[in-house]
Amino acid sequence: MKNKIYQLSLLLLGVLWGLSVQAQSKTTISGYVKDRSNGEGLIGVSVYVREAQTGVTTNTYGFYSITLPAANYTLIYSYIGYERIEKSVDLNADQTLNIELGAESEQLKEVTVSTRRDDENVQSIEMSVNKVDMKTIKKMPALLGEVDLIRSIQLLPGVTTVGEGASGFNVRGGDVSQNLVLLDEAPVYNSSHLFGFFSVFNPDAVKDVKLIKGGIPAQYGGRISSILDVRMKEGNSKQREINGGIGTIFSRLTYEQPFAKGKGSFIVAGRRSYIDVLAKPFLNKDLKDSKFYFYDLTAKVNYRLGDKDTFYASGYFGKDVFGGGDFGFGWGNATATVRWNHIFSNKLFMNLTSYYSNYDYSLGQNTNDPDAKDKFDWKSKIISNSFKPDFTYYLTPNNQLTFGGQYIRYDSRPGSATAISEGETTDISLEPRYADEWALYAGDELKIGSKISLQYGLRYSFFRSLGPGVEYDYQEEVKGQRKEPIFPGKEYEKGDVIKTYGNWEPRISINVGVTPSASIKASYNRTSQYLHLLSNTAASSPLDVWTMSSAVIKPELADQVALGWFQNFNNNTYEASVEVYYKKLYNQIDYVPGSDLLLNQFVPGDLLFGEGRAYGAEFYLKKNKGRLTGWMSYTLSRTERLVETINNDDWFPARFDKPHNFTAVAIYDLTPRLSLSSNFTFASGTPATFPTNRLEVNGWAIGHNFEGKRNNSRIPAYHRLDFAATLKSKRKLFRKGEGEWVFSAYNVYNRRNPFSVYTQGDEDNALRTQAIKYSVIGSIIPSVTYNFKF
Amino acid sequence: MEYIQNTWKLWGIILIPFLLLTGCEDVIDLDSQAGPSQLVVDGWINNTKGPQSIRLTWSAPYFSNAPAKPVVNATVVVEDNLGTKFEFMDPDGDGRYVWGNDTTVLGTVGRTYTLTVRAESETYQAVSELRRVPAVDSIVYQKETLPIKPEKGPKEGYVAQFYARDFPGEGDTYWIKPLLNGQPRVDNPRNISIAYDAAFNAGAPSDGLIFILPLRQSITVDSLYSAGNMVGVELHSIPQETFEFLKQVREQAANGGLFATPIANVVSNITNTNSKGPKALGFFTASAVSKLSTVIDPEKARPEE
Repeated sequence: MKNKIYQLSLLLLGVLWGLSVQAQSKTTISGYVKDRSNGEGLIGVSVYVREAQTGVTTNTYGFYSITLPAANYTLIYSYIGYERIEKSVDLNADQTLNIELGAESEQLKEVTVSTRRDDENVQSIEMSVNKVDMKTIKKMPALLGEVDLIRSIQLLPGVTTVGEGASGFNVRGGDVSQNLVLLDEAPVYNSSHLFGFFSVFNPDAVKDVKLIKGGIPAQYGGRISSILDVRMKEGNSKQREINGGIGTIFSRLTYEQPFAKGKGSFIVAGRRSYIDVLAKPFLNKDLKDSKFYFYDLTAKVNYRLGDKDTFYASGYFGKDVFGGGDFGFGWGNATATVRWNHIFSNKLFMNLTSYYSNYDYSLGQNTNDPDAKDKFDWKSKIISNSFKPDFTYYLTPNNQLTFGGQYIRYDSRPGSATAISEGETTDISLEPRYADEWALYAGDELKIGSKISLQYGLRYSFFRSLGPGVEYDYQEEVKGQRKEPIFPGKEYEKGDVIKTYGNWEPRISINVGVTPSASIKASYNRTSQYLHLLSNTAASSPLDVWTMSSAVIKPELADQVALGWFQNFNNNTYEASVEVYYKKLYNQIDYVPGSDLLLNQFVPGDLLFGEGRAYGAEFYLKKNKGRLTGWMSYTLSRTERLVETINNDDWFPARFDKPHNFTAVAIYDLTPRLSLSSNFTFASGTPATFPTNRLEVNGWAIGHNFEGKRNNSRIPAYHRLDFAATLKSKRKLFRKGEGEWVFSAYNVYNRRNPFSVYTQGDEDNALRTQAIKYSVIGSIIPSVTYNFKF
Repeated sequence: MEYIQNTWKLWGIILIPFLLLTGCEDVIDLDSQAGPSQLVVDGWINNTKGPQSIRLTWSAPYFSNAPAKPVVNATVVVEDNLGTKFEFMDPDGDGRYVWGNDTTVLGTVGRTYTLTVRAESETYQAVSELRRVPAVDSIVYQKETLPIKPEKGPKEGYVAQFYARDFPGEGDTYWIKPLLNGQPRVDNPRNISIAYDAAFNAGAPSDGLIFILPLRQSITVDSLYSAGNMVGVELHSIPQETFEFLKQVREQAANGGLFATPIANVVSNITNTNSKGPKALGFFTASAVSKLSTVIDPEKARPEE
């Protein structure tokens, strides 16, 4: 396996050397494009060369590079919502040209919702990619007025959720754990506060959000369904800026400031729920010491050293804390990322990332009481450390090479628990688990003529489960029921390699221009995943454990093909797309009846493995310009699983299968001060399993499905309408600041949307069977938020 | 999760933030097609003195809330591994087949019992080993005041717990039945309390220990006890298959909310000797029983913490 890595490295070096020789006769112009008002790098700015009739776009750091034969050129920098800049350059030697773009006039800025090139939808090689501008997200109605990135994403085509209040999101039939959620390149293992009601991203600290559902470029890997790439703001490098707000749930404060004469800047943003503070005076003695709050802290600093080097350090820390008296429960993520952008030769851009990401939770009783005779203390965590070099080689405006690699070290303590029972201590901890993951990739983006662009690449990922540890084989007595471990297990020492897996992951996308405003795109990608979230509950819970591949748990794999038509109308005012996709999933995890996934050292014995398939069509129409902006999307899709012994060995719909899914988002700028917005969502009910018969044992009525089916029925459909109004204060806040009120109403027509329907015996009479509809939100939820900016 | 469910007093506190959000449950009508009726065995025999009974009924459509139809005219025989046969009779024709009287004992620890049922020209069988059970050492109770007045039961009362020690040797499984005034309280399947050695499952070793706190306290269900209540525990040894069965029944009964698990059919240990014949449902278990009760006397209660 390792040989393959060497071979791939040699290949990369060879290509690189070839390129440097080939490109000698040309000259290169490169630089960064930034926002004039705050110095933030702008992502995806179009840099067009009039004479050569070609162009590039800036990367995620705002960098661009164009290599052309020596001559005089006119470079046009354009970006929707910003002024257009033309620069004449006499290109006879390599040079650097940093550009700052100012926003268009204030009036126009207000009606702009998309900060990107206006025909990108059609021209770009990307398909199955959705970007939602933070400005748009902030104007959309939100639950309890809390602007929420994940909830906004759920309104995009191909994206669904298990149900209201559930953690995470589902992309094109994949489950919640199959999305790689990146915050400044570091994976976030649990993206939720309060069991899933709010996401962990502070909207004031986020600069850019991109969801990649298909045609995933070779540089990304590690999860099989999607990439959610969240980029934090760098911090205003022009002047001090303070943002904040008081909402129904969170109070927020963000501080940004330049330093070293604008060569560097930083941002610090914090949020905390404050209901516990308000509730305190009303709690009686017994509840006085109860705790229920959640918070997050986001910080980032960057420093530019000369023209060629920029350094970034960013971090996130968030926690949810619940408890009272002798009981406590808490969970949270922590991430830290250090990055170094270096420009080698105007044409070779390097980003070196090193990150640390940790997710942990703890649950305990009497843990702080040294005298308690009965105690319980349970902790779980997963830590990953990674080193990731990424290179972009700007060969010509029509040919860009990307290559790089990644190393990730995993250190997991799936459960460290001690129980003290009447003074006797038992350690019921699970063994720590160690593993590492390696990846190398190379990709090329090529324009062939003026009509065709092609992006192709290959990623090789390699996983090692490492000692020390004990591995058990499992014996199956009854198919589909719990498998028993075979003793003794095989023991491994520190440094031993327990099991390895390697996967080639080819990726290819093509864009064929049909007219200047229409194109056909197609893509194929294979992805692999070595880390699995074991969760047998409807919504994923904070206690779910990320478990690494082992001899028993094989890597999850997915193949996806997608085909789409992209068209813009009315001078790019409207953009439309239709995409169809088919996705095949391998080594999908399911669970035996009565499975125990926590604090169970024999957890592989409780797992079943199968395959999945998902397919669908996504229709998307978006209006980018004018006073009315927004989008409509309709997705027709299925996602199914096949697991031996479940549903009589036949395909069954996954828990989050929703064949019809329609969403509409509208934002209307009524006056420069007042904007109105509305969301509407309609989705098919999720599948459910209902019994056909009942049997009586011990005075209990037990449900039984005669045909042994899983998800044989559906619960009623989900639909909801939300409104919001944003009103800017007339008066300047303390003479210079701005303030705004956001009024919102969630679930306007007061519908009790079902999260699930289940059958069970009555609580007081176990023989009286009934069906119960469970709704997470059962009424209209109004809210008011106040935001300010200095 | 089981651990948190058992520390039920504290759930109230965790749920406070949720009160903001108006989660709710409504009973609704559901169309459900019924399958054909199957024989259901409700067979629980033990080693205590007194008559033993096994109930045979037919399964019914799920939402039929009429009493289950009895299986009559069946032959029901339990035989131990030494060849002793116990013939169960149904003189009343109500599907309840009975053996013995107030002075007889059926079960003996260490023996294996085979149930054979002949009904409607099919023969069904099930096997269960009658395993050892430890003695219950004591019942203790502690004064407790809940932060909020609960829907059921008093605000101030007593949490009772029992003390017993699991046998050394891995894999003993038990069903812990709370006793109130001498009667087992197992009417609500959500409260089924089962132990694997001294804790919850095989994967978390607890062999030979005193039962852990949540299990000890699992004899206090739904509400606090009051002074004068006679409270106690009946500890049943059960085979591991029965442990799985009860676990699945509890999971099905308590399923719902945000963290519901997919429903699967509950396992049965009843097999038709003709593998092509109709399948039967239900469970047959032989248990050894130990029990202890006490009357709550406020003077003897452990003080409130």
